[in-house]
Amino acid sequence: MSDTRTLVNPAQLNRTLYRATLILVVAAFTLAFLGPLYLLVTGGLKGTTESIQTPPTFYPHHIEASNYSDAWTRLNIAHLLLNTLWYAFGALAFQLVLDVAAAYSLSKLRPALGNAILGLMLATLMIPAMVLVVPQYLTVLDLPLIHQNLLNSPWAIWLPSVANAFNIYLLKRFFDSVPQELLDSAAIDGAGPLRTLLSIVLPMSRPIIGVVSIFALVNVWKDFLWPLLAEPDPTRQTLNAGIYSLSLGVPENVLIAASAISAVPTVVFFLIFQRNIMSGLTAGSLKG
Amino acid sequence: MRRSAALLIAGALTLTAAACSSSSDGGAKPTNGKVTISIDCAPPKSRPTQRKQWADDIAAFEKLHPNITVKSIDTFPCETPELFTAALKGGTEPNVFYTYFTDKQQVLDAGQAADITKYVTSENLPVKDDIMSSVWDTQKSGGKIYGIPRTNYTMGMIINRKLFQKAGLNPDQPPQTWAEVEADAKKIAALGKGIAGYGDYSAGNNGGWHFTAEIYAQGGRMVSDDGTKAAFNNPQGLAVLQNLHKLRFDDNVMGSTQLYKWGDLQKQMAAGKLGMYIAAPDDITYMVQSLGAHYEDFGMGPVPGQSAPGVGTLTGGDDYMFNVKDTPEQIKAGIQLLSYLWLTEGQGQQYNYPRSKSSGQAVGLPQPQLFQGATATKDAQLKAANATMSVQAFEPFVKANVPGVTEPGNAQAIYKILDTTMASALTSRNADLKKLLDTAEQQVNQVLANAQ
Amino acid sequence: MAVATASSGTDAPPARAADRAGALRRSVQRNLTAHGFLIGAVLCFACFQWYPMVREVIMSFQKAKAGRTTWVGLHNLDQIVHDPSFWPAWRNTAEFTGLALLFGFALPFVTAVVMNELRHARGYLRILVYLPVMLPPVSSLLLFKYLYNPEYGPINRSLQLLHLPTSGWLQSPDMAMLAVVVASTWMNMGSATLIYLAALQNIPGELYEAAELDGAGLLRRVWHVTIPQTRLVLSLMLMLQIVATMQVFVEPFILTNGGQGVEGSTTTVVYLIYQYAFNFSNYGAACALGLLLLLVLAGFSVIYVRLNRRLES
Repeated sequence: MSDTRTLVNPAQLNRTLYRATLILVVAAFTLAFLGPLYLLVTGGLKGTTESIQTPPTFYPHHIEASNYSDAWTRLNIAHLLLNTLWYAFGALAFQLVLDVAAAYSLSKLRPALGNAILGLMLATLMIPAMVLVVPQYLTVLDLPLIHQNLLNSPWAIWLPSVANAFNIYLLKRFFDSVPQELLDSAAIDGAGPLRTLLSIVLPMSRPIIGVVSIFALVNVWKDFLWPLLAEPDPTRQTLNAGIYSLSLGVPENVLIAASAISAVPTVVFFLIFQRNIMSGLTAGSLKG
Repeated sequence: MRRSAALLIAGALTLTAAACSSSSDGGAKPTNGKVTISIDCAPPKSRPTQRKQWADDIAAFEKLHPNITVKSIDTFPCETPELFTAALKGGTEPNVFYTYFTDKQQVLDAGQAADITKYVTSENLPVKDDIMSSVWDTQKSGGKIYGIPRTNYTMGMIINRKLFQKAGLNPDQPPQTWAEVEADAKKIAALGKGIAGYGDYSAGNNGGWHFTAEIYAQGGRMVSDDGTKAAFNNPQGLAVLQNLHKLRFDDNVMGSTQLYKWGDLQKQMAAGKLGMYIAAPDDITYMVQSLGAHYEDFGMGPVPGQSAPGVGTLTGGDDYMFNVKDTPEQIKAGIQLLSYLWLTEGQGQQYNYPRSKSSGQAVGLPQPQLFQGATATKDAQLKAANATMSVQAFEPFVKANVPGVTEPGNAQAIYKILDTTMASALTSRNADLKKLLDTAEQQVNQVLANAQ
Repeated sequence: MAVATASSGTDAPPARAADRAGALRRSVQRNLTAHGFLIGAVLCFACFQWYPMVREVIMSFQKAKAGRTTWVGLHNLDQIVHDPSFWPAWRNTAEFTGLALLFGFALPFVTAVVMNELRHARGYLRILVYLPVMLPPVSSLLLFKYLYNPEYGPINRSLQLLHLPTSGWLQSPDMAMLAVVVASTWMNMGSATLIYLAALQNIPGELYEAAELDGAGLLRRVWHVTIPQTRLVLSLMLMLQIVATMQVFVEPFILTNGGQGVEGSTTTVVYLIYQYAFNFSNYGAACALGLLLLLVLAGFSVIYVRLNRRLES
């Protein structure tokens, strides 16, 4: 991509100015994004007194690595992380199956009242999540008609995550761009809608599936109040809820160490898969 | 093919529904004399010592009562407002559930409290008559009993003895009045290095809680006797805010960070950065066990008043209530369990002094104060015999013996409103203290009117 | 999408004749199949969005007390508008949304434009800007709470060392909202930046060349090429940003130990809803306020749709 013409004409580019800008930008980014992370990691190494000392120190004068082991055992990070991943990937699986099917139906199979249903779905984008927390909680306690209690089970996170109008909308818009002729010719070859979806539409939709997947995972990963309410059992809590509970009962330095540890798994995950994540996010974005 | 696709999805949904049904409902039903009860506030893994002791006690209790099975539910903290409110709304509390004294009204309003009056007998709860009537009052509504007390406290002033000594003050003479608090705080803050002389809360409902404690010390009240109107917008309420505002801005002895809630001041105190703050005695246990502080560093005085020690101090505590859906057998078993765990001398979670001593927990704090008569005498003896700390450091607090005043009805909602008042008084140099009280009064009146 | 256009040359299939009964049967079957694909998502929407929404509307006209529910008409609405926090909460929400648009909307766009011009270190910068998105938000917020601390926080210390004025940040009624927005932007700007970056890379270079030939300077090229070429993404992100920021909760909740902030400076409408529901156990008032917020957001979306239509035409 680097040879594509952008805002500034590469031919007229002032070398010194470019260098200066580059250095400035790299320095600013490093400071803004790595700076806090540096303070997070080193803050967790300080002693109890040093961590709340005025003026603060910029590096630990006395290293107390035991904070990290302390935080690890108290927070039970491994467990919380597994819970969160279980919720996140389960939500992803449900969204991939049900939302893709729904978007495909709305885009290509065009059922009666399809537009009305899409409209009702999109309308939910306007509903503030906080507004629905209480009635949603009551619904999860006693599902209408089948009277199931989903509290403390992963279903309480998975099923509501399917009701994601934004992802359905993204998928539908992308499917809309798949030419009808392709589907029609597949139908002539005797392919049913499911096979058309699996063998024609989905392979063409890899970028948008990537985007939707990232959104699905990040949504669960970032959610705070809903998982806190839906999974009250401490053994089923998410990372966010667990750290929040812990924040009341440990010294500042241990809390910082716990936050630092909780950041490690996803940062590692991200660094390993960053190429896929980045290309997913960028390739699938909406065309202007 | 088309139909099969539709069937496939329908099938997936059925599976979904079937899988849902595997989730447990947490309820417990008695079968042929056996009874299962669930109880929350069991210590989580992050507190291994307490967890082990809890498990030991439950095992011992089950051995004693072979027909009762206890299902412990870990919770820390024992009560999170969001979860508590949600559980009440959905009726999902355990059979025996932890509450603060102040939650009673909310539980009753939600229709979730079981009337346990008939089951509170000397057979199920041997110390029944030795629990002070003022404590029982907190468990009653309309003459009926709804809960079994666990611990209680009255508030005083915790001081950092080390900092008192460093500042040239006598740690055996904690301040008795706000003027003395000011004088001592100035000397402590003069030590520098970011050390604050005095600290107070202004968030997490704890700001309102301390406002209440401080207005009680002034002789004021939070609400009218019939509980329908706010009663803090008066000279006593104003004095509370003026004292704090003066310490914060005129004397500059409270540090510049505010918006503290429970847990924050303890961290400061344990790290030797705070001279004193108002608290219940068990904060010291918390600081020693969770924050690595040392018992000998702390002492306690009475809650200060304007010209003498406070004329009243906030008393509160926690208890267990019973789910409205509990069977009589479950209530009976629950009371027996609580009696074993929390209310029998020489055993259980808080009166097994030798065990507490050998596991490095605090013995000797002037808390809880649940009992009278023979039980109280016995408790005092056992406590003295196993004390792990100098009782002398608490003498100013015990001697002053400031009478306890219970918390107002709808306390948590009122506290929340007064948080804002406290936060403004402690963060804004030009705060109009009278106006803050006016606003809070209006909001509290609205909450009270809605609760009628 | 390139694939899509490439294959559009395929010939349309010949029209098939069918008798009326056959057409009806096929139409029924087609609908059954289509709804079969749709039903999973629809059931989830029904259970977790539509049904709770209906319940929410009903509850906003009710009052629950001691297990009994009574109809109270507009009492709840009357109650919330007379709450002294009502108007300040709306003002704060508007302020937060305004600041968040400045930071959360404009900053990622500017960042993306700058990043798109750089020929080096692009991968490094992309990783940096997206890294915070991967942290658990509560961890990030606890970190910022520590950084912002006026006494032992590194931010004030850095300012001191640089001889710049310090601030109480979260402790100061004037700065608290800004501090929350900055933390929120740090945590979330990665996604938006990458989405803009992708949109920018889709702008054909010839457009810039043409503009340049017309003598357009840098800013004019941004105004006449970059922005119009990305306007769909921009308008969609703007809308999402407004809806999202008006719902902000966890940031002030963690940063200010509960959410209201000093002098109620970070009390937002969503926080009031939370407070009614979870602190005051007053679901009627919570639902009524929720309904009001919903109406306001719906108003924004109507404006958005109108504007978008005008842009399209």
